[in-house]
Amino acid sequence: MALLTPMSALPATDTEIAELRTMLDQMKSQYERRIQDLESRLAKAERDATKAATRSEAAAVRAEEAARVASTESRPMTAPVVTPPASPEPGKTGFGALNSGNAFNPQISAFLDGNYYHDGIDGEGATLVGLAYQPSRGADHGHDHEEDGGHVHGLTENGFNFREAEIAFSATVDPYFDASLFLAIDGDGTVELEEGYFQTRSLPAGLRVKGGKFLSDFGYINRQHPHQWDFVDQNLPYLNLLGPHGLQDTGLQLTWLPKLPVYTLLGVEGLQGNQEIFGATLGDDDQAALELGDTDDGPRLWTAFAKVAPEIGINHALQLGLSYADNNQHQEVQEHTHAHDGDLDDAHDDDHAIEIHRNGLAGDAQLWGVDLVYKYDGGGAYGHKSFKLQSEYLRSIKDMRITSSAHPEVVGSRRTFTTDGLYAQAIYGFAPKWTAGLRYDVLGMTNEVSGSENASFGSSDRWTFDVTWNLSEFSRLRAQYAHNDILQAPGERERFDAFYLQFLVSMGSHGAHAF
Amino acid sequence: MVKGLVGFILGGLLTFGATQAAELDVVATSSSMGALARTIGAERAQVTVLASPDRDLHMLQAKPTMIRALRDADLVVAVGAELEVGWLPVAIASAGNPRILPGQPGYFEAAAQVDLLEVGLPANRALGDVHPVGNPHVNMDPVRMAIVASALGERMALLDPAGAETYRANARSFAAATEQRMNAWQARLAGAPGVILYHRDALYLLDRFGVPLLGTIEEIPGVPPTAQQIKALSEHLQGRSGVIVYAPYMSAQAPERLAKGLGWEARRLALDPPIGADGGGYLDHIDLWVDTLSHAR
Repeated sequence: MALLTPMSALPATDTEIAELRTMLDQMKSQYERRIQDLESRLAKAERDATKAATRSEAAAVRAEEAARVASTESRPMTAPVVTPPASPEPGKTGFGALNSGNAFNPQISAFLDGNYYHDGIDGEGATLVGLAYQPSRGADHGHDHEEDGGHVHGLTENGFNFREAEIAFSATVDPYFDASLFLAIDGDGTVELEEGYFQTRSLPAGLRVKGGKFLSDFGYINRQHPHQWDFVDQNLPYLNLLGPHGLQDTGLQLTWLPKLPVYTLLGVEGLQGNQEIFGATLGDDDQAALELGDTDDGPRLWTAFAKVAPEIGINHALQLGLSYADNNQHQEVQEHTHAHDGDLDDAHDDDHAIEIHRNGLAGDAQLWGVDLVYKYDGGGAYGHKSFKLQSEYLRSIKDMRITSSAHPEVVGSRRTFTTDGLYAQAIYGFAPKWTAGLRYDVLGMTNEVSGSENASFGSSDRWTFDVTWNLSEFSRLRAQYAHNDILQAPGERERFDAFYLQFLVSMGSHGAHAF
Repeated sequence: MVKGLVGFILGGLLTFGATQAAELDVVATSSSMGALARTIGAERAQVTVLASPDRDLHMLQAKPTMIRALRDADLVVAVGAELEVGWLPVAIASAGNPRILPGQPGYFEAAAQVDLLEVGLPANRALGDVHPVGNPHVNMDPVRMAIVASALGERMALLDPAGAETYRANARSFAAATEQRMNAWQARLAGAPGVILYHRDALYLLDRFGVPLLGTIEEIPGVPPTAQQIKALSEHLQGRSGVIVYAPYMSAQAPERLAKGLGWEARRLALDPPIGADGGGYLDHIDLWVDTLSHAR
């Protein structure tokens, strides 16, 4: 063992030396490698920097050359945009619009719309204003089947209400189309497709085509979403003659902006015609029972409109419009009690009638609209001193024949239902960020049935006043008071006051200030 | 009635024929852009300006008459960088004119031709109506405007090759005219004590000539100041000299109160020249600003 120790010690020192040497060599090579690594990285960085510089120079030269070539060849240059941006600021091609949108994602915005509501008739008022009496109401008419669920929109109660969250997407699809999608989610979480359409972007001669589900360009306020309104609720003529969604349908629209000295927009629409009030059709059972006939193939609803806007000064704008819509099929059922034989719409609730008779009516529906909008940009801070006047007149004419009745003698006789309506509203920016609005709306200045039977009914009207605080472009608070005088049924009126406090906020992309 | 209508249509067609005489139908969003287009286009361009200089270019609405003007335009000249985002895209889309869509030669943004200030601010609306793409008000810097003019000249040359030499020459002479006034402006603004702006809209001018921005009346873009903020600003700058400048569409109340507190002058100045201005009119507009800034007490 004693001999072994030095024996082992000696080779140990030898191996130690060898080990130390290899370690030293390893360290040397390691450091050399690291230094080399650093050197090469430095060199690479320098190369990259010069490369980037020459690349952007080259890109600039290329762009210049392209421009020169294009200009000498005198043909429209469309391609240069595809040159990949080499500059550190992506998207700077010089042709496009600078914006903070994110790559290919559509522009997304969301609106939240809620209110506190109170009226003196237990919260019935908000529903009642949409049921002002007219001799023809379409599919949602009928005093019996209204309460049981049915189709009740944005039912507003006394207290807090969440009216809707609207989500909007819009994007350019390709060189040919733009597209938009609007979804509304009500307070119960029910999702509804408000609009979903494509629109052409490159047709010549001032032509554009829109297709899908959309709000018709009939009239002026029809195409506005609720968050764009100057009052919390829709005016009486639209609410009662077209329903809570207005003319919202599926189909095609063609508009033409002709080369005239004065702005003139002409348009036609062919729409499916599935409406609740203006051109309604009944269910299969009713159609069979009342001999109304089947629902015709679409499109059944046609519209035409013209809008003219003369130049009246740089800070003023005026637009006049004339619209017409025709739904070539309208069906409805009208009930009367046996006690008032032959009377179509008389009070059946008053005396306890034994029998209810149902008459089936079929025909078509026409609607005329005249609109006027004037705006003045007052130039004050945040909308101060700006003014807006807006007025529309609607007239609905439903021309029908009785298809079935318990009284055979009236079958085939003609009934024409005419109801019109008007609203006029003015908004003034009385202080920076604050506006005040006044609206008068009336339904049924003419409210009659004619033909082989004639009757005339009274009108419903309302005065509304509101104050809106536009805290920023993205949020607003509104207080609204209305005095309503609503004709519920012939000879039966409800007069009540209604009060709203509303909030409206928008998130996401910058909203458009459309006219 | 019918006679009147025929007369109306005929009259319209005649005026329409008259506007067709120019080679380029140019629509400019602001009077600054209109001034450039007039100078460079000269008699080859028919220029229509959409917005009045005493209105806020960011807050306008897409009026039907604007859409009419865009319907036949060969070229739209916008300030860009989202300044007109609320109304120009809607108006262009409604005009049914594919030649002026963004990405086409008929669409020109001044801000896309030059480097921008304040690029990449956080996209957080708690900070007001912010635009992370950069401060769009490039029309307030005459040097950048000369670069824009040259780019606009090239663009017009592209659209109307027959006038290429005219456009380039006009752009060069605008640059020369700007250059000529630069020394005087620099001299007058050397040592200018500084300015309080309402909104950061004249930033490019201050940046160009090294004039200190002492503060803004609105702390957050698009949000009016509180009395507290005005008081704080007044206390902070007590004893210093400067001038307060605000745009015509801003409320005069806060600037006047601040001016009183500081003993400074509050001036109402537009960001754009008068609506019919040409290149010379634009330079006079910058003159007016230089004058105001250099006379700060």
